[in-house]
Amino acid sequence: MSNGGSKPKPTFFVVVGVVIVALLGLAFWRCSVKTDTDGDGGKTGGKTAGKGDEIDITKIKQDAMGDLAVEKVENLTAKEFKEVPAVRLPEVTGASSYQALGAKRKVRMAINVWAGWAPVLFANEGGAAKKVWKDASGKDFVLELVLIDDPTTMADKLAAGEIHIGWATVDMLPLLVQRLSRDPRTMPRVFHQVDWSNGGDGIVVRSDIAEVSDLRGKEVALAQNSPSHYFLLNVLLNAGVQPSEVKMRFYGDAFQAAQAFNQTPSISAAVTWAPDLYKLADAKGNKKLISTETANKLIGDVWFARADFARDNMDILEGLTRGFLDAQMALTDPDAAKSQANKTTAGGYMDELFGFPKGESFGMLGDAHWTNYAENRDFFLNANNPANFERTYNTAYLLYRAARIVDTKIDPADIADGSIIKKLESEPKYASQKNEYDYKFTPVAGVDINVESSVMTKRVVIEFCPNKSDPMQMDDKSGQSCDPNADTTIEEIAKLAAQYGRAHIQIEGHADSSMKTEAKGAAFEAGVRKLSQDRAAGVKQALVNKFKTLSPDQFVTAGFGWDRPADAGDPDNQRKNRRVEVKVIPVEAQ
Amino acid sequence: MTQPAAQQKPPPWWRTLRADPPAHLRIAIGAAMVGVIVFVWWFLTRGEATEAIISPGRLPAPGGVFASTGKLVENDLETHIWATMKRILTGVSIAAVVGVTMGVLASSYRVIAAAMTPIVVFFRSIPMGALFPLVLLFAAGNAERQKTVFVVLAVIPFIFSDTFASISSVPQRYIETAQTLGASRQQIIRKVLFPIALPDIITGLRFQFGLALGYIMLVETNELQQGGLGALLWTTQRSYAVDSMERVYMLLFVITALAFALDHLIRFFQRGFFPYRSDL
Repeated sequence: MSNGGSKPKPTFFVVVGVVIVALLGLAFWRCSVKTDTDGDGGKTGGKTAGKGDEIDITKIKQDAMGDLAVEKVENLTAKEFKEVPAVRLPEVTGASSYQALGAKRKVRMAINVWAGWAPVLFANEGGAAKKVWKDASGKDFVLELVLIDDPTTMADKLAAGEIHIGWATVDMLPLLVQRLSRDPRTMPRVFHQVDWSNGGDGIVVRSDIAEVSDLRGKEVALAQNSPSHYFLLNVLLNAGVQPSEVKMRFYGDAFQAAQAFNQTPSISAAVTWAPDLYKLADAKGNKKLISTETANKLIGDVWFARADFARDNMDILEGLTRGFLDAQMALTDPDAAKSQANKTTAGGYMDELFGFPKGESFGMLGDAHWTNYAENRDFFLNANNPANFERTYNTAYLLYRAARIVDTKIDPADIADGSIIKKLESEPKYASQKNEYDYKFTPVAGVDINVESSVMTKRVVIEFCPNKSDPMQMDDKSGQSCDPNADTTIEEIAKLAAQYGRAHIQIEGHADSSMKTEAKGAAFEAGVRKLSQDRAAGVKQALVNKFKTLSPDQFVTAGFGWDRPADAGDPDNQRKNRRVEVKVIPVEAQ
Repeated sequence: MTQPAAQQKPPPWWRTLRADPPAHLRIAIGAAMVGVIVFVWWFLTRGEATEAIISPGRLPAPGGVFASTGKLVENDLETHIWATMKRILTGVSIAAVVGVTMGVLASSYRVIAAAMTPIVVFFRSIPMGALFPLVLLFAAGNAERQKTVFVVLAVIPFIFSDTFASISSVPQRYIETAQTLGASRQQIIRKVLFPIALPDIITGLRFQFGLALGYIMLVETNELQQGGLGALLWTTQRSYAVDSMERVYMLLFVITALAFALDHLIRFFQRGFFPYRSDL
């Protein structure tokens, strides 16, 4: 079969020559491209916002107000509870495409390794489909709990109809929903909040990092597009740090990020979760900067059903919601011996499903706060709650949009369905419950708060009317608001206070120093200081007037007159000097 | 057997076992098969989400997949391809230098072979996925090096074994001929064994590139910001973007095309350098 030629043909040499020249050319080209990108921070992902794209979170939120359908709540200060409509969901058409339930009506639900799922494991007596549940119309169904830790796999299985119910944190929903919106039948429907992360997620840093703003220019290890990512973006932007100012190193999951932080001295911080969070924070030279113990209404877990499954099986979903709520009651029984016994049982089921050594899950249970009926009602139905579903979802969407991770906005009203929670209102067992998660702050004077231990300082500008201290006040002459954005700014601070629900919030008033040169005497200066104090108090008053769920005792106020210019290097920048600073003093430091 | 065999016209290719159709027809049949697959794919995914036979949540339509190429290029596809290629080329090159040298020596001097066998058996049998965490610790601190080291470790044992087999299969008569001409042992290795085995050694290396491409995808999911096709695949999957599935499918085609191109490039060189080996 051989052609007999024993030497390469001339064309071969020509082609080899061309290839070599092309490779050399490519090498030169790549060299120049590389130096270009190095100057720009050397990004390969091309996803994170580069330098020059300053993200002003307040501005983003103002911009987005129009298309966001965020409930505008002006003029509602008199009412304590403005209800969100329970259902505003688009209709689902087409034949259902999920795996049939079968004769035993077996529902498959995905959960992850997380303390929040203790109630459902307790209610179901473990992961297997053994216990018989009752749906709203009294018919039987069984529930199989499937452990799927990876959210992408979970979303894929849900889209394929293999599982009917998935897990998510509210902040993940703006991401997940993009994928699932491909088919209206797989759109998520959220009926019930399972828990708030309560200490389980956090940021560990090296000891030399005192404030979030110290992370500028430092390397931070985390898992991309995860609750960790959301937590970091939220913390950074609230502290006035642009995400592009921090070198984010992305890992497959939060545990890999923890491992990288542990092994690589150049990494200054890691966003991770329990148990690695505690282990790393206890190590010498490290500390916990902030965790969801302070930011206790930032990361909330929910379960969601496929839209076609929800359309066909509302009775089952009601039964499931009741099961969750009843189990929550059993696990937090006022009788300590009972609740302890129930928690031990739930921990045992978790150990079994998660493959943990006996007793390990029990130690995790404190990482989550299981939300009761009243808290769910506040979450889904209270428009005046600064940490409700809609606002939590929107915050995550806006942060991810600012970081250019999402572009398609799907309205939270297309996802949340408060109808079951609304329906249970009529049952005294649930209706008698109280919101127990709002932290009971004891009143403290400003001087008793260790402001030095603040980890975040958020700067906002409110244009007060001359010599007035109420941010909502209208101008005497024009009859118009002196700051048309005051409402949004107040909402911003309210969200911060709600999300960081166990932190003391110090509101500091600062005045401009334009009259300082005129030296009008000590009495005038005292007057300026008094005005700045009054303005800080005015902001606090506006906050608690508008958002009744906020406790006045969470806030302390102070006024510094013109003593503390915003920028020491540019003390006469009066536009910057006229400001309110909001400091977050975390529970870790109190 | 009534007719003499010599006068009989050979039956056409389609009636003969193991006979190739003409070249142009082979290409046409291949293309037609691709057409059929794309048609079935289009048919299953056509129409609105709720009417398609397979929901777009499970299988995106072909049009969308090909249209997503633009988005991939926007996300620096070529940078990722380059990052992956660099790791493979560096890794396989290092492994080739070490593996081929060891293979030639071990095949020639069986003392070395006896010493190497347990090590090679260990590395050939170990699932590379299990080795990865060890590599992370071993080459800690430099993620780029970790990835290259992993490729090197993954392919060396195979290069060694292939080289060993190629040298061993050089017919004994060549060695005897060289010996009768007075060649020393080193000369036999350099002038006889190595040159004769070289085409087969390179065939072995060619397969290792395919293997390395598979392994590199695995390790590139670590330290994602360093890029590479594995990182791009992972981040695209986890971007949850509306068209992330389209991009994932398109990436699979890109990776397949890359592997195919690499294989054919090496084969082209092989044929050019060793025109006497028509079997390559």
